[in-house]
Amino acid sequence: MKPVFSMSSDLYGKMLDELSNLFFTEKLGLDSDMNFYRDDFWLTDTAVIELLQFRKGSWEINLLFAHHKTPLKFLSRRITSHSCPKRAKTMALYMRRIAAKDQRGTLSIDIKDLNLSLN
Amino acid sequence: MDNLTTKQKILESAIRLFNWDDMANVRLQQIADETGISVGNLAYHYKNKEAIVTAVYEGLFEEFGQILSTYMSNPKLSDFNTQMEQYHRFFSKYKFYLIDLFEIERSYPLIMDRWRECVNKMMLQIRKRLDYNVQRGVLHPEPMPGAYDTLTNNIWMTIVFWKPRQLLKAQPVDEILFKRTVWEHIIPHFTPKGLSEFQLELQGALS
Repeated sequence: MKPVFSMSSDLYGKMLDELSNLFFTEKLGLDSDMNFYRDDFWLTDTAVIELLQFRKGSWEINLLFAHHKTPLKFLSRRITSHSCPKRAKTMALYMRRIAAKDQRGTLSIDIKDLNLSLN
Repeated sequence: MDNLTTKQKILESAIRLFNWDDMANVRLQQIADETGISVGNLAYHYKNKEAIVTAVYEGLFEEFGQILSTYMSNPKLSDFNTQMEQYHRFFSKYKFYLIDLFEIERSYPLIMDRWRECVNKMMLQIRKRLDYNVQRGVLHPEPMPGAYDTLTNNIWMTIVFWKPRQLLKAQPVDEILFKRTVWEHIIPHFTPKGLSEFQLELQGALS
């Protein structure tokens, strides 16, 4: 017979418990949970980074907005695309400067706020 | 049947023959005849009967694993009802599981070990279902320690041995009757909430 993965009864029992618990712990989200996406006023206090990606034959310009106090609150938005990489780069630069609150780019993110764990 | 490969056809024939006769009595010639191929051709695909038995059981365990994987697809009582349907179909397809239990224990210890593992998982799932429904307020808590272990055993025995019992008593073996028999173990333990959920969701389908 083919060797198969198996686990002890205790472990299987615990796994079933966790599966059952999902119905008590996992709740459907509320419509208001997505307000951060619809209500984008917070984007005015964000650091903005432009991101160029080559996709489907053209250079896509994305802007990544991250809140300067809580950078884990971030949003990436596709703005436009351009077939010429050089022009796309220039356009991305202007787009970022228009979108950012401070055009000189002084609003930045502190890496400590990301709570990275290097384990 | 025409879309099946020769290997699959051989296994289907073997299952039919095992259900009809004792596994120990079925010869390679019979399997070849049932499949409509020569013994030489059969030996090309499976070198001996042990290989066929092992392949049949591989398929059986895979199907059983699929049934087990449907555990808690939805949080309601109907989830167990759906799993019961699958068990009923499984034990109808593989009727030989009971006839050949002793032969398997004697000649195929590895298969027996897998069977035991499947049975343990099946019983654990039933037990955990009871716990879950107690937590959900659908079943009363255990009236005394170990009461739901006994209930688990009874439910398991009904699922596995109900069909042979009906056949022995020359009684019908239809699916609705099977499910009703299993539910009859659980109904006395329902809380009012459980009873109303059962009546709303399942009673119509079981009558």
